Amino acid sequence: MIHVEDLSVAYGDLRALDDVSVDIEPGEFVTVVGPSGCGKTTLLRTIGGLESPTAGRVSVDGDPPEVAQADARLGFVFQDHTLLPWKTALENVTFLRRMAGKDPDPEGARELLATTGLDGFEDARPAELSGGMKQRVAIARAIHLGADVLLMDEPFGELDEITRDEMSVEILRLWRENRKTVVFVTHSVPEAVFLGDRCLVVAGSPASSGPAASTTGDGTPGRVVAEFDIDLPRPRDESVFGSEAFGRQVAQVRGALHDDA
Amino acid sequence: MSVAERVPFPAVVLPVSALLLAVAGWWALTVALALPPFLLPSPAAVAARLAGNPDLYLANAVETLRKILVGGAVGIAVGFSLALVVWAVPVLKRAIYPYLVAARVLPKIAVAPIFLIYFGVGFETAILFVAVIVFFPVVVGTAAGLDRTPEAHLDLLRSVDADPVRTFLAVRLPHALPDVFAGVKQSVTLAVVGAVVAEWILSNDGLGSLILVASENVQVDVMLAALAVLLSIGLLLYGGVALCYRAVAWD
Repeated sequence: MIHVEDLSVAYGDLRALDDVSVDIEPGEFVTVVGPSGCGKTTLLRTIGGLESPTAGRVSVDGDPPEVAQADARLGFVFQDHTLLPWKTALENVTFLRRMAGKDPDPEGARELLATTGLDGFEDARPAELSGGMKQRVAIARAIHLGADVLLMDEPFGELDEITRDEMSVEILRLWRENRKTVVFVTHSVPEAVFLGDRCLVVAGSPASSGPAASTTGDGTPGRVVAEFDIDLPRPRDESVFGSEAFGRQVAQVRGALHDDA
Repeated sequence: MSVAERVPFPAVVLPVSALLLAVAGWWALTVALALPPFLLPSPAAVAARLAGNPDLYLANAVETLRKILVGGAVGIAVGFSLALVVWAVPVLKRAIYPYLVAARVLPKIAVAPIFLIYFGVGFETAILFVAVIVFFPVVVGTAAGLDRTPEAHLDLLRSVDADPVRTFLAVRLPHALPDVFAGVKQSVTLAVVGAVVAEWILSNDGLGSLILVASENVQVDVMLAALAVLLSIGLLLYGGVALCYRAVAWD
């Protein structure tokens, strides 16, 4: 369980997040949606121990994120695939687990690549893979690490829309099969609704994000302004995109985003 | 697909033809103008020089190559190590890195006479001189390369609390390799220049020395023969470094 309590994060004078509290249950898929620069990535990175709280606290199963990092309980997937260009797909999957000091499991990595649709691409280097395939490898790497929690920072942000939809279905399948807790940051409202059990709407504009704000210094730090339970049956597939319930939930989340803007 | 990709040989044929044409032009010039051989010998005369006394050129080539290889190895090793230290200690980097970069403008050749005063004539002085010349591109290339690792890759490793030494070896160093090798490639070219200059000023053997003595005796054919050998050495070394790079390259 991830516990975020009265969390504030500031970089010097720049307040990125202010007084955010969230609890995320084990196995839950929580999406965090908001405009660029609203602080949603800061929230994710603080949960993952890559940023430090200025005030408040974050814990993962009762431990500080640094402890969870050391136990390889946190699996990040970034917008940039962050694959090492000189390693093959398989080597990239096993690499992080090795760096975390865990026992190697090459067979597990092979199987995982196969279930993510990369059968036959084990020995391909990132330059030979499409954008979608590279993100599949990055996701496989995070799962292979053995992390309980997947922290995904706009992982499909650089993919075309058709690939995004495919990947969305794919990540839900992997989540079902691997029983992970997922925190998924995105600026796409439909993506946030399609994927999540729960969707957090974050709003804010840190002082340095625009020229006007940086001169006046009156940016508003990111806050969770709304929270929606996504009431769509699972398992979800592409057919959900056309459903009336989906459209209604998307409209609700959009409304919350615009109310605050 | 370009023409060169479809048919492999024109890529080789054109430059080779140009070289043959240039040699033929040189030959034609010596014949047409009836130039005296001491001014400009024909390619055949130069080839005859080489063939006539191969041991002389081989022995001197070995001397020159020794200076290049030993001096080059020392310069690369010291340059690489210093770059690691400078990179790892930010205070040092801020203090001396600007000078390492600025020193690239200094014509290192000009320090040879100073070396002569401090260290005298000899193999060791020549080695030191070659090493100094080789050092700068390597140190600058390596230091730049070590900063080339994308932040996101470092975030990834921090997210599993990876050991800094392993992070360095597994991620930073490979990311730096293209820049390190760019520096080494520059160095190899400079090492040949350095060895020849060292043989003019700091030692009395090798192809550089041979050229100098031949110049005093107005033996242009000997000088050109020695130059041809130097050119081959330079190309071989450059090719060797390029091959090494290809073996470890990822970009």
